[in-house]
Amino acid sequence: MDANLILLVYIIPMAFGTFLMTPLSNSFGSDTTNKRSTMHIPRRRLMAGLTLVCLVSFAVSAHTLWITWKISEGAAFCTSTTVFSCDDVLGNSDFNTDPFFGMSWGLIGMFVFGFLLFMSRCVMIEPDSVWSERYLKFGTYITLGGIAVIALLVSYEIQMEKICQYCTTAHAGNIVALFGFWKAGRMHEMGTWNDDVQPKSEAKE
Amino acid sequence: MKLKNDESADVRSDVATQVIGLFFVAIIVLAFTTNPVQTGTKEGQRAPALEGMAYNGSGWSEFSMDDWIDPFWTPGNASGEWLVVEFMDTDCPFCIESAVMLGQYANYFQKLDPAPGQEDAWDGPMVNFLASATELNIEGHETSRSEIMAFRDLTSGETCNGRDCGSREGGSHSFTYIDDIDQDNMKKWGIAGTPTYFIIQPDGIVSWVSSENQGEELQNAIYRILTESE
Repeated sequence: MDANLILLVYIIPMAFGTFLMTPLSNSFGSDTTNKRSTMHIPRRRLMAGLTLVCLVSFAVSAHTLWITWKISEGAAFCTSTTVFSCDDVLGNSDFNTDPFFGMSWGLIGMFVFGFLLFMSRCVMIEPDSVWSERYLKFGTYITLGGIAVIALLVSYEIQMEKICQYCTTAHAGNIVALFGFWKAGRMHEMGTWNDDVQPKSEAKE
Repeated sequence: MKLKNDESADVRSDVATQVIGLFFVAIIVLAFTTNPVQTGTKEGQRAPALEGMAYNGSGWSEFSMDDWIDPFWTPGNASGEWLVVEFMDTDCPFCIESAVMLGQYANYFQKLDPAPGQEDAWDGPMVNFLASATELNIEGHETSRSEIMAFRDLTSGETCNGRDCGSREGGSHSFTYIDDIDQDNMKKWGIAGTPTYFIIQPDGIVSWVSSENQGEELQNAIYRILTESE
């Protein structure tokens, strides 16, 4: 199967997660036919979207690690003569590991997104706990640090004159997660962090 | 005494268990579906990139070892072309000394001439030879592309280890010389001294390194490995 088609498996849920985090999804919760749905609550939608984005980013990072290992065997996954060729990027031993520990970027992505997934899911389940605000700040700082890593990796791609579309999807996941953690933190500060979760049927009564 | 029940701690440990479980499932899937090969210069590792401007006797042009590699080669496939890579310095006395035999064996394994003392031509897989010519950080080892050309072609006018490059023993070489005066390739390959030889499989995996096999001559290693691979 074409590598770009497989990429849609990640892009579509990531786009849906991003949609849930934006005001565009305001009507989403109220339109749903499930009367017990709590998706009409903005905080619920935001945290669900953020958790989905972290999960998809974790999966796409695992996939980049898989591609890196496959290429090392001599296999080809997404070789292309065009600028979009993740094989050329992930197979370049000068750039496919971090400069300090020699760890594959895909594995680093799995660790980071795994941790972000842990924090977003914890806050999603226990939004009123004493540590939720701290987790949201951690998430913001980690994804903010991720921007510097993205800049480094993009500079590698510029040097190679190739773009790895799988890596770019993971980079987009970091940026969306930054937005999500920041927005959740703002909601917490602004007092719009509605903890009073009620099923929609009860809320209307 | 009434025990306190920290429910939020339960949430975190539950979620941590889920995420760690997910992580290990992903790693297990990766482990079962891939067989990664590390990049490096030890036997069994994938050889690093070898790039630069190269001289093949007619002029300098861009060179990349990737163009000589067949990633889909499988052991036993006699049509695959092996590689011998020599890291050398045109002013290194051991490199000048070994240039005689290296030239003869290159001609033999590249199927240009029979080996010295042998009448039959090599009937095994083609073995291409490459030399990566560097400039060691030793006084008197200054080199240039002209010197590399003179060393390879056995022409006069340049000095190799205090003597005219054209006066070195042996014939001119038939194989490609890569300009590694800036030591880029040498550093990437972790070369500690010259000459160092590598035998590379057609799929780019390091098969033999002279520094790990001090007691075995290059030509004997080629015979042994290529015979074993048939």
